[in-house]
Amino acid sequence: MIGFELSDEQKQFQALARTFAKETIIPVAAHHDREESYPEEVVRQAHEVGLLNVSVPEAVGGLGLSMLDEAIIAEELGYGCMGIYTILMASELGIMPLLLAATPEQQARFLAPLLEGPKLAAFALSEPNNGSDAGGLRTRAVFDGDEIVISGTKTWISNGGIADFTVVFATYEPELKHRGTVAVVVEHDRPGLSCNKLHGKLGQRASPTYEMVFDDVRVPIGNMLGEKGDGFKIAMRTLDKTRIPVAAGAVGVLRRALDESRAYALEREAFGQPIARFQAIQFKLADMKIALETARWQTWHAAWLADSGRPHAEAAAIAKAYASDAAFAAAQEAINVFGGYGYMNEYPVEKLMRDVKLNQIYEGTNEIQRVVIARHVLQ
Amino acid sequence: MILIVTAAVNGSLPKSALELVTVARELAGGAPVAAAVVGPEAAAAQLAGYVPQVRSLQAPELEPLRAEALTTAAQQVAAELGANTVVMSANRLGQSVAPRLAVRLGAALLEDVIAVSTDGGLRAKRYSYLARVTETVEVAGGGATVVTVKPNVFPLPEAQPGGSVAPFAPTFGAQDTRVTVGERSAAAGGRVKLEEAKAVVAGGRGLGSAEAFDQLVEPLADALGAGIAATRAVVDAGWRPYAEQVGQTGKSVAPDLYLALGISGAVQHLSGMNRSKVIVAVNKDADAPIFKIVDYGIVGDVAQVAPAIAAALEESQGS
Amino acid sequence: MKIITVLKQVPDAEARIRAGSGGVELDGVTFVIDGMDEYGVEEAIRLREAGHDVEIVALALGPARYEEAIRTALALGADRAVHVETDVELDPIAQARVLAEVVRQEGADLVFVGGKQADWDSAALGPALAEVLGWPHSDWTTELKLAGGALEVRHDTDDGQESLTLPLPAVVTTQQGLNEPRYPTLPNIMKAKRKELAKRSLDELGGAQPLTRVVAQEIQTRERRGRIIEGDAASAAAELVRLLRDEAKVL
Ligand SMILES: Cc1cc2nc3c(=O)[nH]c(=O)nc-3n(C[C@H](O)[C@H](O)[C@H](O)COP(=O)(O)OP(=O)(O)OC[C@H]3O[C@@H](n4cnc5c(N)ncnc54)[C@H](O)[C@@H]3O)c2cc1C
Ligand SMILES: Cc1cc2nc3c(=O)[nH]c(=O)nc-3n(C[C@H](O)[C@H](O)[C@H](O)COP(=O)(O)OP(=O)(O)OC[C@H]3O[C@@H](n4cnc5c(N)ncnc54)[C@H](O)[C@@H]3O)c2cc1C
Repeated sequence: MIGFELSDEQKQFQALARTFAKETIIPVAAHHDREESYPEEVVRQAHEVGLLNVSVPEAVGGLGLSMLDEAIIAEELGYGCMGIYTILMASELGIMPLLLAATPEQQARFLAPLLEGPKLAAFALSEPNNGSDAGGLRTRAVFDGDEIVISGTKTWISNGGIADFTVVFATYEPELKHRGTVAVVVEHDRPGLSCNKLHGKLGQRASPTYEMVFDDVRVPIGNMLGEKGDGFKIAMRTLDKTRIPVAAGAVGVLRRALDESRAYALEREAFGQPIARFQAIQFKLADMKIALETARWQTWHAAWLADSGRPHAEAAAIAKAYASDAAFAAAQEAINVFGGYGYMNEYPVEKLMRDVKLNQIYEGTNEIQRVVIARHVLQ
Repeated sequence: MILIVTAAVNGSLPKSALELVTVARELAGGAPVAAAVVGPEAAAAQLAGYVPQVRSLQAPELEPLRAEALTTAAQQVAAELGANTVVMSANRLGQSVAPRLAVRLGAALLEDVIAVSTDGGLRAKRYSYLARVTETVEVAGGGATVVTVKPNVFPLPEAQPGGSVAPFAPTFGAQDTRVTVGERSAAAGGRVKLEEAKAVVAGGRGLGSAEAFDQLVEPLADALGAGIAATRAVVDAGWRPYAEQVGQTGKSVAPDLYLALGISGAVQHLSGMNRSKVIVAVNKDADAPIFKIVDYGIVGDVAQVAPAIAAALEESQGS
Repeated sequence: MKIITVLKQVPDAEARIRAGSGGVELDGVTFVIDGMDEYGVEEAIRLREAGHDVEIVALALGPARYEEAIRTALALGADRAVHVETDVELDPIAQARVLAEVVRQEGADLVFVGGKQADWDSAALGPALAEVLGWPHSDWTTELKLAGGALEVRHDTDDGQESLTLPLPAVVTTQQGLNEPRYPTLPNIMKAKRKELAKRSLDELGGAQPLTRVVAQEIQTRERRGRIIEGDAASAAAELVRLLRDEAKVL
């Protein structure tokens, strides 16, 4: 049978995250968006109440939350500010390869320290010359005795410059394409690593994005996850999971778009009546509601598949593509509901659209999601 | 027999005590009404101008007044007079004593009522859900009932002079005085009591500071002859005493005019003032929830608008 | 020392309340632990943090959905919980008799009760419970100290504040200002899962009969003029005074 009820505990996570979004994120979101500044205080408090790095397993002292738990929390935080949520989400993204491929020793070495403070992880796959084509990596990993030497450039790495460690994907044998790749944990303080913060983002401006330059960075071979040749596989299996929180964050943005539109439509008058009386406006709200329910259930379904060890790549791709496309459409319509005010940054809706645009792009563009889905359809 | 239980405040009968007479008469439907009054005999004599039988409660154990001692006294008067309905004010004293009395008398409790009726059993109306709902409650089994009455709702009764006052000396047990009362601080006197005021000027966090509160609110309250109220945010900040707090966990008021300055309009605040006849708000945020329930609103800075209202009042009274 | 904190689950203060012919409709409403009850849980935790050796038991009487509120109390720091599960709507006086039975069986020394319930707008449960138990109580309590087997409190009265000393055992009803309740953190929510939540039935506790019955409920509405007065401070103020005098006739 199917059960649609959240557990009491999940309802409490939800309540906590909702309160956190309302009291800690929303009041500062517009400021960090405008200033393109890092919300250090929010991240510190997220750590304090336990909302940071929630997937770290119980075995090393973490909470070991499930994908569904994470999705429930993600919706609330995304509702507050997708940009700020991306900081937390990208950290879970950096943790995921270790959940999938690290030895217990590696988990204890890298993940346990993350719990000690407001610390972050990062995930570096994309490069200046290739994003979607993740098999065509140019960053090199050279095996030198019991060390690996990394050289090359990664770009658009969320948290890159401020993370305690970054999981870096590199090739040791370009001829082998994706079969010649490795996943390596690189600590922040390794000599030869330099990070430059990228400026001028359209949205999610609170989330710091970096270019990471590896100039013969040496790490012990014990920092490699899995075996030689596993890199690409680990990256793909990671994204099959972490697309679910990307979808959940978009669901949060969608819900925010609906809430803001609803409130405004009831207040704003035109032609002597609240605009909510116009069917054209009502239909926009109805469409947002349809999308919200559909996106949330697909997201939770994908999370449930992942948690129960079932195949979930296709469901996650559907959730990510659908939720982010629907959220973008809803945010865009929310601007229409607000009319001229929607176009101004004094009101919250234009930010929703700028922010959620990124959910359509990162962790695999929505075109790539459709490539994945089509492959399953045709299989 | 319907018994009113009340206490004098600073030596005289509060307005809420007279409102109890109105309720008691409605409940009695012609049956006799009596009263028990804690305080000086003069207060009992005052009530005897409305109620035929008054018991003046005098005992050292009733000073200072403690919930358990008053419960004991009320129970004994009720027993002596054979009263099966007791009426008290839903002020803090009444809310503390009435539930105890209900337990002791094996009675039902109708709490904080705004209307009563007796056809087909005892029924009362009261608010619930943070005063967003009006509900009708009835006593399930018949039998004894204790009723607490929301202050400032019922009209004052007509006088019925000629009542008699008899002293009553309750007997107390050790438990009645086991709570020791220490230091007491009363709200600054001089101004009209908040619960009895026809107009209330209320201030919120938007006033900015304790000094600004005094400077902006006091002159307006003086000009209107109004009581002063505050939100929890203000009271928590220590700008004003707790006794001035209006809302879910403060006082509940219903003046003819409620002037809210720099108050956002949280449900918990509204639940204490949403029955006011006319509500006016001044807030710099046009989207503040308080504007949803106003009769008149001014969007603007209180620092400018409040003195302007005071000036306009002065001018209008002058002309 | 054993502290019992009584709690209720009520609609979120921001939830929209609707009423139909059958009274208030709570379908789809978000329920939370009553804010007033959180003060009690928090105060109990603070007593422990101040070095007192206390066991904190959360106690609730209500339908199955109350379990969520109970879990919140456990996540905040209560050690275990007792849930008297029933769908029977009991008024505060009837509730006090049932809860008193649990308090007696537990042998508690101190009971916290929310000062005023956000659903019934009732302040009766605390004093009624104290009476059934034969204990003293302090209501609307804003400060509390445990000193040598007695409680020293400060509480609101009708015209100000008062200090009281109460012998234990005692009932204390809360008031805002008593403390600032903490958030339940995620790790504590997880830990709460493993804490004991005992279920009791009304029958086991001697049964209960409601003494009052709600027969009708409607949303309180009042027509408001909703008029925003435009203009600079001086002219808006003058217009306001004119309206109060001539239209509303309250001056
Ligand atoms: C703010 C931000 C944060 C980011 N954070 C991270 C991070 O933390 N870690 C990380 O590794 N990356 C990160 N990225 C990178 C992101 O994942 C990539 O930008 C994304 O995968 C697309 O890659 P690309 O930009 O190289 O586009 P390209 O791959 O060059 O794609 C260009 C266009 O071609 C389409 N396209 C490409 N291949 C196909 C195909 N086979 N079929 C159909 N269409 C195709 C794409 O959909 C797109 O429309 C981030 C990006 C941004 C903007
Ligand atoms: C269990 C519980 C019980 C509670 N009980 C009560 C209660 O009994 N009574 C109560 O009041 N609250 C109560 N509250 C608190 C309530 O939820 C609100 O937090 C509180 O009422 C807010 O007070 P405020 O309006 O003064 O402050 P705020 O909400 O901070 O509002 C200040 C307002 O002032 C405006 N403003 C700022 N500057 C200016 C200016 N220069 N000119 C004009 N306007 C300005 C702002 O726009 C804002 O709207 C309770 C809460 C809980 C949880």
